[in-house]
Amino acid sequence: MNVPTDEKFFAWLDGELDDVEAARVEAEVAADAKLGELAAQHRALQARLQTAFGTVLDAPVPAPLTAATDDQRRGEVLQFRAKPHGPVWKMLPLAAMLAVGILVGSLIPDRATGPIQVQAGELYAAAALNDALDMQLASAPSGDIRIGLTFRDRTGAICRSFTGPSSSGLACRHDGRWALRGLLGVPEGQADDYRMAGGENPALSNLVDSTIAGEPFDAARERAARDSGWR
Amino acid sequence: MGSSGAFKTGLVALLPRLRRFAHGLSRNPADADDLTQATIERALRSSEQWREGTRLDSWAYRIMRNLWIDTARARLRRAEREAPAEDAEQIGVDPTGAMEASVDLAKMMSAMDRLPDEQREVVALILIEGFGYREAAEMLDVPMGTVASRLVRGRTALLELVGVERAD
Repeated sequence: MNVPTDEKFFAWLDGELDDVEAARVEAEVAADAKLGELAAQHRALQARLQTAFGTVLDAPVPAPLTAATDDQRRGEVLQFRAKPHGPVWKMLPLAAMLAVGILVGSLIPDRATGPIQVQAGELYAAAALNDALDMQLASAPSGDIRIGLTFRDRTGAICRSFTGPSSSGLACRHDGRWALRGLLGVPEGQADDYRMAGGENPALSNLVDSTIAGEPFDAARERAARDSGWR
Repeated sequence: MGSSGAFKTGLVALLPRLRRFAHGLSRNPADADDLTQATIERALRSSEQWREGTRLDSWAYRIMRNLWIDTARARLRRAEREAPAEDAEQIGVDPTGAMEASVDLAKMMSAMDRLPDEQREVVALILIEGFGYREAAEMLDVPMGTVASRLVRGRTALLELVGVERAD
């Protein structure tokens, strides 16, 4: 029986061979218990590497690293009332948005009058944004900020998506306040049409999709949740 | 400005992966974050060299790898001063079972640190980062056959170092 070379064996293991070659090596491995064992060991090694190093992927990016990229983003995406800019958000996958969520903590000044406050590294809605999240129903918009969807996340916390004149985002209840889970610029040309809150901005939809557990609240449930203090 | 915004956005999105690659190359998490920071700064300074439509991840990974290589000589001198024998015993202890992934990360970083640089980088790129042989070869500017043979040696040495057992 032919024993594949090391290079060919591992190329097979890594899915680098064409179908014909792969089938040949597979047959050789199937016929040789030692090779089968070796394949299993190396698959286990790779799984272990990916699990161990995957913890880095899942960990929050340290602030000094995100800060290195922040200067221009401050004007483009992060400021709640910033002038609308080009559709930068279209390029913004969820991971980036979450990174922005961390990054924004070091950027937005902690002013009592701003729509966002930073406390212990968390971003919280404040002022008009907080009022809107606390009181407004999706069915009864008023003021500059419109509420989109209300739902529970996987931890059971109530979350609400919102859209303002130049930004949209998602906030969830945390310690009795609205903690921001994402903040996005509104694409140019849509700034005047922000009634489409909750779902029209694909990046916001993605964020909602990745956060929601179950169905969004209907109007009655939304009202009941508000009346019981968003618990 | 649109492309600059897209560039920065892309770079921010890459941060977690770049950090993971840095952990694959570095001997400890502090060094890994230093390397990531240096990579981000270099990438931002060199942004005009990135051509839109090409892969930003490969471009940024290559920057990181080159920065890492720049410090290789210093690393080598330091490694030569340190005796590896004790490490080897620690690494070999109970590699299976319910070990916490984050604890295992330190062990795996330690094992990776024992590999020669040219093996370590292909193990990191292919087995951890998930690049194909061709992509890795392009990033490293070596033939695919070289990548394949370094990967064989690197993963074989790594298996001996950590002694993974079958999880069945």
